[in-house]
Amino acid sequence: MFSDLSAQKQGSSLLCRPSEDQGPVFDRMSLAYSPCSERYTVGERSFSRQYAHIYAARLMQMRPLLSERAKQKWGSDVLIRKLCDLQTGEQCCIVGTLFKRMDLQPSILKEISEEHNLLPQPARVKFINETDELILEDELQRIKLEGNIYRDKCVTGSVIAIYGAEKNDGKFTVEDFCMADLPPQSPRPTLSSDRFVLLVSGLGLGSTHADSMLGLQLLVDMVTGQLGDQGEQSSAATISRVLLVGNLLSQNTQDADAATKPKYLTKKTQAGSVEAIRLLDEMLLQLVASVPVDVMPGQYDPTNFTLPQQALHRCMFPLSSVYPTLQLVTNPHQSHIDGVRFLGTSGQNVCDIQRYSSMDDHLEILEDTLRLRHLAPTAPDTLGCYPFYQKDPFILEECPHVYFSGMAPTFQSKLIKGPDGQECLLVTIPDFNSTQTACLVNLRTLTCEPISFSAFSADEDEDSEMNVSH
Amino acid sequence: MDELYLDNIDEYVNDQDKIVTYKWLSLTLGVHVNTAKQMLFHYLDHRRKESSAQLHATYLVSGKCVDNGQASHKVSVIKEDKLEDFKSKMSLIVSVHVYSVQKALLKDSGPLYSVDYDAVKDNMKNCSKYSAIRCAGAVPVSSVEQTRAIQRAPSPEPESKRSAVNGSAHPAPKPSTKPQKGIMGMFASKTSSKNQDDGKDVKSEQKEEAPVDDAPKSKPAVKANPMMNFFGSQAAKKPEKTVKQEEAPPSSSSVEQKRPQPEEEEQQQQQAAVVKPKPKDTQKESRSKTKRVEESDSEDDKMDKKKRRRIKKPVSDSSDEDVIPDSPQQMETREPSPSPKKEIKAVSHSRQRDAEMKTRKRRRVLKSRTFLDEEGCMVTEKGYESESYSETEDDFQAAKPAPKHPVPAKRPASKPDEKKSQKKNSANANKGSKQASIMGFFQKK
Repeated sequence: MFSDLSAQKQGSSLLCRPSEDQGPVFDRMSLAYSPCSERYTVGERSFSRQYAHIYAARLMQMRPLLSERAKQKWGSDVLIRKLCDLQTGEQCCIVGTLFKRMDLQPSILKEISEEHNLLPQPARVKFINETDELILEDELQRIKLEGNIYRDKCVTGSVIAIYGAEKNDGKFTVEDFCMADLPPQSPRPTLSSDRFVLLVSGLGLGSTHADSMLGLQLLVDMVTGQLGDQGEQSSAATISRVLLVGNLLSQNTQDADAATKPKYLTKKTQAGSVEAIRLLDEMLLQLVASVPVDVMPGQYDPTNFTLPQQALHRCMFPLSSVYPTLQLVTNPHQSHIDGVRFLGTSGQNVCDIQRYSSMDDHLEILEDTLRLRHLAPTAPDTLGCYPFYQKDPFILEECPHVYFSGMAPTFQSKLIKGPDGQECLLVTIPDFNSTQTACLVNLRTLTCEPISFSAFSADEDEDSEMNVSH
Repeated sequence: MDELYLDNIDEYVNDQDKIVTYKWLSLTLGVHVNTAKQMLFHYLDHRRKESSAQLHATYLVSGKCVDNGQASHKVSVIKEDKLEDFKSKMSLIVSVHVYSVQKALLKDSGPLYSVDYDAVKDNMKNCSKYSAIRCAGAVPVSSVEQTRAIQRAPSPEPESKRSAVNGSAHPAPKPSTKPQKGIMGMFASKTSSKNQDDGKDVKSEQKEEAPVDDAPKSKPAVKANPMMNFFGSQAAKKPEKTVKQEEAPPSSSSVEQKRPQPEEEEQQQQQAAVVKPKPKDTQKESRSKTKRVEESDSEDDKMDKKKRRRIKKPVSDSSDEDVIPDSPQQMETREPSPSPKKEIKAVSHSRQRDAEMKTRKRRRVLKSRTFLDEEGCMVTEKGYESESYSETEDDFQAAKPAPKHPVPAKRPASKPDEKKSQKKNSANANKGSKQASIMGFFQKK
């Protein structure tokens, strides 16, 4: 625990008169760092292609993996069939991409055709329904699935292997299914001392309620070694890197009207994000002057919307980009920090799966994507995605040691073990703006703990006063 | 330790009615954060013993806190009256120290943030100077990267050093003309305000087109023309000298440019001192220049005023039209002028127009270029570039691009008694340059 460590190193109290000697100065622990997000950078961008190529590339790459898993699971003599070779009633295994037909899935074509007598629909948070159907596709054909597979948990785009038989009615009855499971992992070095990486998501600058700003400032002060007693400061020096995981700006900085209003009306109004970016730059400056920082963009940040989101441009940060400690990185982002492999997204993939499945728990979804060996199965179906055509960069080829996603409602973490001895720490990073909580990952023990900030507000007083009056 | 700081704090808290946070105090007095925390405690203690005016304090408490079975590290700012209560809830206390002292009772913690924000904002460059953590790797790389940027200037443009930096855009510290916010903005505004302050009490006589850093704003290029004519012949006689004088500014102004990236904090002030004399000159110079222009060519000036709107037009038009990617090449052919000149142009950066004592004139044109940077991002750059054109040409073939062969030879030939007519002529020329195409249209008919 960070607090335990800090308490061990207790120095002299600060509740005393200043002494002659100068205050302590600790050196920031610096760790070997190598970003490896090349696969998520999109160089030449062409949007003229169809999305079918992604599914083809995905299935092509995943099929051998799944065939192998299927053999492990159902015996090496299991019959693996293509859909076109299926014999009715024959027990066999098929490999393909899931497709979930959903009535409620928003569709622009449906909207247009129904425009004339469209009643305003309540905004939905979930798009699953009783009438949803699961269909498995391979390169040539598709087949409806039924039986032992939990429809609502599955999402479109996942590649799985299914064991069962085709019935007379042309549907495939599922007896069992398996996923690709955790990819192979390179061993993690054993570290001699505790060192931390701080994960923060959803700073939400530019939001309407500014009272959360002190919390953010406390976070910055803690990391940069201003706050606390000596013990805390010396522990803070072991925070060797800060990862800002998306949604640096608040949703409020995005003005929905701006796109639809005529230009002559908006000519003089400044975009809300301008001021927020300036704030962010000032905040980053404080951070980067003291600690290396990786900045990932998120859903509301000023970069491209489709995954993979490209790094924010340096010119937006005239103050902080002078420092070599500032790394503007892509979302998803992958890096080696002192030999520990970090991989994660700002949370769009998880939130999207949440909308299109019955799963609500971010940690559970995160684990599922790891077991499916795919970062964002729902892309490109319901999640914006660049039309890749030769490869699917979201397939996980190597298992990370720390797998995180941002914008979660609460902090959760869990260490999972793979069939081949892989160890992976899953972390859902809470939205800082609403929870005032960040996470500290200890690289030595591969554990994660929340760290929260709070300040008093006027409400508290009112509450207590009300209690008194009652 | 002498206890002067008690009086200091007392003054801040009681006389100036400030909220004194440890961070603000540390930045203001230039002491280590931990010392500042102790100072605040000492002050509070001292005051309480005297039991004079009522003081309110907030404390920072951090430690382990177990919530719903989840242990977390918690950092909180709390009011003094809740301190003990709060401490009892923590399962392990790591730090406790005074966060702020103020006279008024704080309703919420918003003001605490604003105080720190302002303090940090005033000390952008050394905001973690007094903190307890040093980071060896966090050294601004401005100058290094700048040179690197220059080396890989993207296009084959005949641009000057300075604008090359701009050209390659993002390597940060460069002061671009418009987004002069951040540090650059701070320093820029500082210098400029300094300029304004000191601008009057100056005498230095440097006769040349020094960079006019703050003044120019709406001074269109054309405005310089009358003056050019006025001095035309003289200037033509001694062009050598002019060039020499012109060469002076780049060094000093480049100091000015670099200033915003000092590695050490003190440097800032030193440099300010170093640089001061320069802007003074420029200020003075520009003022006197404008004045003279006004006096001498009131007629032209009126013209200018009337035409102001139109004057701007061609400039912006050309910029828009010049977006075509090959515009740099065009520039190249058009620009036979020596490089030191360009250097000045670029260095002096702001939209100043030099009235050059030469026959050939140059105007600054807003050009935008679009290219892909190494990250694959589209970068559109707007920058002022100078291009030269001949006045005489303008009269007749304004619509055509400026000629390759410069015309300086013609100028000295014109006799002094022609001056007057020439002046008028030049007024026309101005007009011509403004509405080149339309004039040409009517003349032909």
